[in-house]
Amino acid sequence: MTNAEYVIAGWVLTGAVLLAYWLRIQQRIRRAERLERDT
Amino acid sequence: MTLLKPAISRALGWATLVAVVVLALFGLWGAPPDSVQGDAQRLMYLHVPAAWIAYLAFGVTAISSALWLWPRTRSEVYDRVAGASAELGVIFTGLTLVLGSLWGRPVWGVWWAWDARLVTTAVLLFLYLGYLALRSVPASPDARAKRCAIAALIAFVDVPIVHFSVTWWRTLHQQATVFTPELKANIHGVMAFTLWFGVLAFTLLYVYLLDRRYRLAVLEDDLDERELEQAIAERVAGAGTSVRVSPDDDADKVPAKVTP
Repeated sequence: MTNAEYVIAGWVLTGAVLLAYWLRIQQRIRRAERLERDT
Repeated sequence: MTLLKPAISRALGWATLVAVVVLALFGLWGAPPDSVQGDAQRLMYLHVPAAWIAYLAFGVTAISSALWLWPRTRSEVYDRVAGASAELGVIFTGLTLVLGSLWGRPVWGVWWAWDARLVTTAVLLFLYLGYLALRSVPASPDARAKRCAIAALIAFVDVPIVHFSVTWWRTLHQQATVFTPELKANIHGVMAFTLWFGVLAFTLLYVYLLDRRYRLAVLEDDLDERELEQAIAERVAGAGTSVRVSPDDDADKVPAKVTP
């Protein structure tokens, strides 16, 4: 594959950003649900 | 409270995961390399869908904001959808710029150019970062929703400017490939399939993440409301105690003066 460093960097970066965002939202949802149950 | 039923949201999440894996297989191996740009063109299968989702997200924010501003349709649902969609739009616009830069380096020889498409897209990113900052400024829910709805409608003006920038000005960025002025796509075969599949996969991802982000907004609004109610109740209880003490003190004094 030519220019593999750019192609792989783009795909990995996109996956990492979207995965991190999804995990952060899931974490905040779980925390908010736990707080809601506790109050 | 969610936009989608929990079972549909879960199914959508799995469908999105499958679609993204299939996109990666086609984007990295299934589609042939471009005859001019070689494999660097494989970034198009992420760059174009990310830009499409940014347009879609800001469009949803603008429509939701207009629905909030219209008195007959005003609902906190639209304010939350506007905020959630703008956040997603910012993420996808950021990805569009970074992916474009990674694509531009091997093809143009530069990471960045002061080109109309690039600059207007960067302006779009900063406009909606400002919108998100505005959402975090403390205010009553109605005041915040109103000022954010107006800001969202103003910011959306940049979306058609970004899209038509390659037509209106001479740019280093290539002309539209799919949504050409004649609506005649300049891409065919497996490459076209992969590009359209990328748009589908990212659209599924957008709808799924919007539902999740909306759910979070509802939970956080509920918690804020409860905290406020609790704080008011504590304040009232505290004030009630001091009110009860004072009359008792006075009650001891007043009869002593009045009774004789």
